[in-house]
Amino acid sequence: MRRIEPILELKKLSKSFGEENVLDEIDLTVYEGEIIGYIGPNGAGKSTTVKILLGLIEEYEGNVRIFGEDISKGNHTYKRRIGYVPETADLYENLTAYEYLTFIGELYGLEGEEVDRKAKELVKLFGIEEVYHSRISSFSKGMKQKVLIISSMIHNPDLLFLDEPLSGLDANSVMIVKEILAKLAAEGKTIFYSSHIMEVVEKISHRIVLLANGKLLADGSFEELKGQNMDGTLEEIFNQLTGFDEHQNIAEKFVQIVQEG
Amino acid sequence: MKNYPSLKFVDLFKRLFLFLGVDYPVMRKILQIKLTMDRRRVPTVFNEQNKKINNDSNQFLKSLWVYAFLGLILVPFILIRDSYIFPMSLVYGVLMFLLMTSMISDFSQVLLDIRDKNILNTKPVEKRTINAAKIVHVGIYMFILTATITMIPLTVSLLARGVPFFLLFLSQIILIDLLVVVVTALLYMVILKFFDGEKLKDIINYVQIALSLSIVVGYQLVIRSFEFFNLDFGFHAQWWQIFLPPVWYGAMFEVLLGQNRDVYIIVFSILALIVPFVSIFIYIKAIPSFERNLEKLSSQSTVKKKRKPLLGSWFVKLICSSKEERTFFFFAQKMMKNERQFKLKVYPSFGLSFIIPFILIFNELRTSSFTEIADSRYYLSIYFAAMMIPTIVLMLRYSQSHKGSWIFRALPLENLSPLYRGTLKAFMVKLYFPVFTLLSILFMVIFSVNIFLDLVVVWLASSIFVVLCFKSVNGKVPPFSESFEMTQQETGKMFLMFLPIPLLFGIHFWMTTMEYGVIGYAVVLFVVNWILWRKL
Repeated sequence: MRRIEPILELKKLSKSFGEENVLDEIDLTVYEGEIIGYIGPNGAGKSTTVKILLGLIEEYEGNVRIFGEDISKGNHTYKRRIGYVPETADLYENLTAYEYLTFIGELYGLEGEEVDRKAKELVKLFGIEEVYHSRISSFSKGMKQKVLIISSMIHNPDLLFLDEPLSGLDANSVMIVKEILAKLAAEGKTIFYSSHIMEVVEKISHRIVLLANGKLLADGSFEELKGQNMDGTLEEIFNQLTGFDEHQNIAEKFVQIVQEG
Repeated sequence: MKNYPSLKFVDLFKRLFLFLGVDYPVMRKILQIKLTMDRRRVPTVFNEQNKKINNDSNQFLKSLWVYAFLGLILVPFILIRDSYIFPMSLVYGVLMFLLMTSMISDFSQVLLDIRDKNILNTKPVEKRTINAAKIVHVGIYMFILTATITMIPLTVSLLARGVPFFLLFLSQIILIDLLVVVVTALLYMVILKFFDGEKLKDIINYVQIALSLSIVVGYQLVIRSFEFFNLDFGFHAQWWQIFLPPVWYGAMFEVLLGQNRDVYIIVFSILALIVPFVSIFIYIKAIPSFERNLEKLSSQSTVKKKRKPLLGSWFVKLICSSKEERTFFFFAQKMMKNERQFKLKVYPSFGLSFIIPFILIFNELRTSSFTEIADSRYYLSIYFAAMMIPTIVLMLRYSQSHKGSWIFRALPLENLSPLYRGTLKAFMVKLYFPVFTLLSILFMVIFSVNIFLDLVVVWLASSIFVVLCFKSVNGKVPPFSESFEMTQQETGKMFLMFLPIPLLFGIHFWMTTMEYGVIGYAVVLFVVNWILWRKL
């Protein structure tokens, strides 16, 4: 049976840095089992939203409820059910994968031995078990990304925020992760998927939320977006909605300048 | 992960933390991770694959003996019995300076870590616990640092001045520790409020440079401080001394041990007691706005205006024959200017090369008169300015963005000679020339302008020395192409490169004893230069 209570609820969420309005009255309700493709041009306010939801930014206007609880009340325990892969790939690189993963697991309230057991199996599945006891600083970008993905899921969260989670992964690993996300959603987990690669977003998201200049421009499934007298791929829809039709012009000029002199 | 002794020490205060509402087990976990990472601050990236067992060693702990030595400065002042406030203010002044500068240079990372925010604050951990971990982390190091500096002075005070003096000395040291930590943090807050992160990093960089220089000058002071012994210490409290925190702490001695009831002195000692706690209060109040401004560290906002180059392009054309060489000249010049790590490693030796020739002359002033020196050949001590050459030439090899050096290989160049030449010329023009010129002018004032030809010879000799250093230290390694973490492996080689300096000095000295020796030598050096730079 499906619960009707929303996992995440934003009401008139606004945020400004000085004069600049980064988020402008965003309304969004998310239910369990959904994969939300959260897209928008650079500087649209995507990461600001995620930072607010994770409690990294505490000053905002409007109302944010996660798991039915108002996060401005200052109770941090809701974070136990959240996993996060940041875009900037921040890790304590001087630690080994083992040390980092057990540390993060323990912060989520798990027992050290249990985290170690789970982490060991997970790194094996990702094919990086031989570097489990090596320092992360020696890892390639893809290996670091795998560690980040494991650290975001090791505590079995109900809500995941993933910011470009596939960056640096090889084609095979990309397939694994996409499959993992689909399976997690089928198990009732909610996933916020933020990316600039439209093909992936188009394929894996149940619902697409497009943000530009701090405003919600579109919200619906890919089919619904197509139905709103727009056509083509998500990439083309993205261009239309953000009012960008200059790409051919710009490309032409670019090539022209390259060939000058 | 180890159970560090410092953690066991913190365990003693478990109840206090629990009382303050800190989640103690989590805070301990964070501290343990932080301490583990500190031991690996110099990551051995290249040995990692073969060595699975970590040989952790804390670089900070290894550098402690320097501080223990600097602590010796304090000893003679403690032994002074004529006055309390004067020597003790000096003691606390030196201590504050040492603590403050090392706090800024070594612990800024802890206070300004922005990774922490993304990693820790997104986890179900209370802010209070994270902040407590941060403060305790800094606290552990401050404790170790203070203990190292003051260990010998404290022992001396106990033996020579008795228990009350010792206790007062100790308790005020603790107050000063508090004050220094909080004031540094507040200082960062203020800087971040008005400037962006880049500015703050620059300021930290300059403090680090100042610290390295003052440690060297400190060595001189340690030796000299025993000479100050028989001075007269008349001291009268003045209102403006209220702005000198060390005086507050010296005043406390006057009140408690010297029975001084001067109004100023009493006010000072009250300040000594109150200000640390007031600043902690302000700090706690200001933490939220600090956290917000910390965001600035990750963003670069200011657009720098393009500045006109000081050197006309005609000059660069004159010294660099090919176009590629000129391009690399400008490139190297910008790298040297913008690289913080480079500045940190280079500027202290830069300052030293300026100071050492004078130290040599002043030492001689003790035994001979000024006119005697002016007639001597002591101007040749300018050779010691060349001491910066091996260090800097070696440092030219490193860069924080060493990964960008693939570009040198990818360029359609026949060989990398233009890069080598351009970089070395940029170093000589931008770093060596200013110091050398200033020294030359001062020396000509001291020794008369007749030494001009000798100075030209020194310049020519050092220009040969630059090429030799580069060849023997760096070989074919292109500039800016290795990580600074590799530096330690090469320092041995660098010390060997100091040996030619006395040799060059000796040859020059020998030439001055011969008629036309110097001018002949100059011609020879010129020709050698001409050949060497071509072959580079």
